[in-house]
Amino acid sequence: MIARLRPSIVLAAALLAVALLAGGIGGAAAQTMSYADAVDQLATACRADFAKYCKNVELGDGRLRACLDAHQNVVSPRCQQTRAMVYASIARRAAAQRDIGTICDADIERLCGTSHADAHLVECLVSVSPAAMSPACSQAFTDTGWRTEKAQQ
Amino acid sequence: MIRYQIGAVCALALAIAATVAGADTRLNSGEIATSLAAVSTSGKLDLTAAQMRQAVMDNIRNYPGALPPRALTFPQLANLAQFTVEINFNFNSAVIRPDSYRNVGAIADALHNPILLGYGFLVIGHTDSVGGRVYNVGLSQRRAEAVVAALVNPFGINPAVLQPIGMGEEQLRDPAHPTSGVNRRVQLINVGKKFCFGRAGEQFVCQ
Repeated sequence: MIARLRPSIVLAAALLAVALLAGGIGGAAAQTMSYADAVDQLATACRADFAKYCKNVELGDGRLRACLDAHQNVVSPRCQQTRAMVYASIARRAAAQRDIGTICDADIERLCGTSHADAHLVECLVSVSPAAMSPACSQAFTDTGWRTEKAQQ
Repeated sequence: MIRYQIGAVCALALAIAATVAGADTRLNSGEIATSLAAVSTSGKLDLTAAQMRQAVMDNIRNYPGALPPRALTFPQLANLAQFTVEINFNFNSAVIRPDSYRNVGAIADALHNPILLGYGFLVIGHTDSVGGRVYNVGLSQRRAEAVVAALVNPFGINPAVLQPIGMGEEQLRDPAHPTSGVNRRVQLINVGKKFCFGRAGEQFVCQ
């Protein structure tokens, strides 16, 4: 009886794992991680692979990423998956933080009647409801992480 | 019985892991940003990176010894907003250890915080007293540069607002225990609004 149940338990566990994984990736796409969380996840998931393939490789200058890219066919599946998710999150957050002034320029003019200069940008965007913002500006503001950072203060 | 012992060891390991995670949580990027935003200068800093490096070498020449008999101080920096982060490197190397990636990421989160937009920062590397004093200046310079390199790529900080400087062992945090890990650290100092650094470490107004 137990022997007969086992394959279905394994199947259920596998389905659950796939569902959790899909949820995790979907969640990352909806909201970027802090740089600290992102790189910590990478360090945790790839610890053994770093020691094996990227020992003495620098985090900076894109060297660690280049090493992981060069070994993508041999690193553990967990490291491979986390690497893709983490670098996507970092790139997306950095792009949002860099470009939000341009992306939200019209929104800030319309909603706050000011130009987007410096810290006033965040003051303006936290003061208005996400529904009032253009979808692109709202998504970019979420991606910067500043919406939640402000909420935590 | 053996099984129970293994269970106890695992529980202990988990407790240690939880403590480490708790320590990580205390290095909060909002706290770093707030500390660094408390600016107490309105003018341009009257001290260049080249002058700081010269002062480090002068301190070694004028006050020789296995340990610095006198800690180097910079009165111009005394009242500036700063924050110190412990970062672990491979022994005798400028390679940041993966267990410190989170701390570097937390610095990046803080430097990207809008309240720090447009400020310039010194990124000062410090070693413990293991190794010669002159050698440690070079090692801490390479380590400060490694932190700056990581902040720039992958974390997207503008390199013009960061100035790496190696202080060697000339400013031990715990002079009574010169080989202690607390001496190995990276210090960020806010040198003021809109000040960027040129290749020679000279300051200029950003943008």
